[in-house]
Amino acid sequence: MKIPEKFSAPLRMALVSMVLCGLLFPVVVTGIAEVAFPYQSVGEQATLGNHTVGSYLIAQEFNASVFFHPRNDSASGVDPDITISDAYSQIPGISNATGLSSAILMNTVDKFVQYTMISFGTEYMNVLKVNLYLINTYPGIYSHYVSG
Amino acid sequence: MNPLYVIFTLCIFTAVILSAWFLSNHLFSVFGKRKSRLDRIFDPVDNLLFKLGGVDPKKEMTWKEYFLNLLILNVFQAALAFVILNFQLYLPLNPQGFPDVRWDLALNTVMSIASNTNLQHYAGESTLSYLSQMMGITFLQFTSAASGLSAAVAIFRGFSGKYGGIGNFYSDFVRSLTRVLIPLSLVASVVLVGLGVPQSLNGYLLVKTVEGSSQMLQIGPVASMTSIMQIGTNGGGYFGANSAYPFENPSPISNWFEIFLMMLIPTSVPFLFGKMVGNRKEGSTVLISAYAIYAMNLIAAFAVVTTLGQGMEVRFGAFSSVFWTVTTTAFTTGSVNASLYAFNQIVITAAFLGMMIQSVPGGVGVGTMYMIMYIVITIFIVGLMAGRTPEYLGAKITPRDVKLALIAFLQHPVLILIPTAIAFSTGAAAAAGAGNNPEGFITIFYEFTSAAANNGSDFLGTAGNTAFFNISTAAVMWLGRFIPIALMLSISGSMSSRIRNPSPGLHTDNLTFAAILVVSILLLAVLTFFPFLVIGPVLAYLEGHVNGF
Repeated sequence: MKIPEKFSAPLRMALVSMVLCGLLFPVVVTGIAEVAFPYQSVGEQATLGNHTVGSYLIAQEFNASVFFHPRNDSASGVDPDITISDAYSQIPGISNATGLSSAILMNTVDKFVQYTMISFGTEYMNVLKVNLYLINTYPGIYSHYVSG
Repeated sequence: MNPLYVIFTLCIFTAVILSAWFLSNHLFSVFGKRKSRLDRIFDPVDNLLFKLGGVDPKKEMTWKEYFLNLLILNVFQAALAFVILNFQLYLPLNPQGFPDVRWDLALNTVMSIASNTNLQHYAGESTLSYLSQMMGITFLQFTSAASGLSAAVAIFRGFSGKYGGIGNFYSDFVRSLTRVLIPLSLVASVVLVGLGVPQSLNGYLLVKTVEGSSQMLQIGPVASMTSIMQIGTNGGGYFGANSAYPFENPSPISNWFEIFLMMLIPTSVPFLFGKMVGNRKEGSTVLISAYAIYAMNLIAAFAVVTTLGQGMEVRFGAFSSVFWTVTTTAFTTGSVNASLYAFNQIVITAAFLGMMIQSVPGGVGVGTMYMIMYIVITIFIVGLMAGRTPEYLGAKITPRDVKLALIAFLQHPVLILIPTAIAFSTGAAAAAGAGNNPEGFITIFYEFTSAAANNGSDFLGTAGNTAFFNISTAAVMWLGRFIPIALMLSISGSMSSRIRNPSPGLHTDNLTFAAILVVSILLLAVLTFFPFLVIGPVLAYLEGHVNGF
């Protein structure tokens, strides 16, 4: 069947633009990304020992009371951060469970402070980063709670 | 409020406006057909694409030819993407083995992306294969932005009267892609990956968490979509949670970079308009009017303190979340970095206004097109009051121009209000969970406002995945996209050969006219939509639902 001339140009152009924008473009970006940013391009994976235990960008569940806990509500449902005031409010419980003093835990939290407006605004911290720091710094307390 | 926030906002505006001005020089060389040093690189690429497409880029088109080629190309592109979504299980790059997308959802999705709306009744990460995200969604995000930009420059040529016509659609379309959207998106994609947005085709990653439970890391070709979705004012994200999802928007820096990206082209196009009509002040007048209303919306939204609450991401905080929401609707992008339920009714009303006006500054290309529509109507009203023949850019505005501009204006409320009424009277609203109360009304009213304005932010989300909303919003999105483009191209086509009066009676290139234009736009929007805002956000506010629902 012959395609009427009126439709042949837009049909061919549709196919050309699909290959250009939908295939070539993402594949080229993937190639550049894998070479230039090997860590970021696969989701900023967090490691413990030699194992990948998640991504710093995606919240994971913590049940044991020795850890800081992420929040359950939020827009994405996987918010990896909590505000510093939220973190402070969790410190007494963690101190009880670990025997670490509140001062040590507050110092730890303060090391990981970030700001919502880059250099000002609300203070927050990444839950997984702080928990992995605690695990690596106090293996005697934490190794028991970490899965093999 | 802490003065640092005000300073920060002014810095963002300065960065956007300066970059947009520089970009407009490039746009002028691309669409004003001036010679450029870059031609040596781009001409061979363009010529190859013209040859593959079988088109003659030099052939001058009438407005009807221009529009029909644009429309038919968009239909074919949407149809190709529909085939990809509908048969994704049988196609490559589907490592998660997602089943084919049901026909009505696939139809809604491709019509949504192709019309630059990006209303999403699906969660991409659990519905679409890599190939569908690339050759379904990313593809249409590029082409819909290129179509909007093409329509705008054709309209500018006609209004300027300096180009002997409105141009050739395929030339504009291909140049929009190769010389504007693809280079910008390439740079932005690489920056976004550097800021933490994944870009991979290796499949999702199943990991054991610290405490030993299983977690799926949904990595994919995210950065290559996130760049064009903001640059092209598309807004449709890789993930259901859109730009709230950390893989799409990992940090405060990525957040402000993405805001910059969505503001860039819509801020640049008014400058381009000024250059193409041969009077830069005409362009500045459009930009100042648009930014004046955008600034009013921002100030109103910040008048009531929004606190970091449920539905917002901690890393962005309240300020960035409100700023994003007002901006994404003013620029009709529609991406969201927080749940709309998190905001008070004043922020929601500001969001409504952005989508009702559509040109403050509006989406890629079409934002300035709507501004020209308002200018035609305003000049007509001013002409009536002053008893003068209405003129714009030296050309007489005819009764036919005014009629077409008014139809272009009135199709918007018609496309919003009638489907909203049908949704409630047929029970379709209730079936999607919207009750007969202000909150339910806001949900449905917002859905069709967003669809008709080609915005794409919504309250419904996946709850809108019903046959009624998939089909009705698909129709509204396409009518709301292509009717105004056809009407404005028609006005422009007849303007292109009209005699110009070198000494116009009404000057449209100064602050006085900008003020008249702003008042006229606000009056038109308020007179049209006020009753519906009253039974929506205003009533919800009076009932005490100050903060969200």
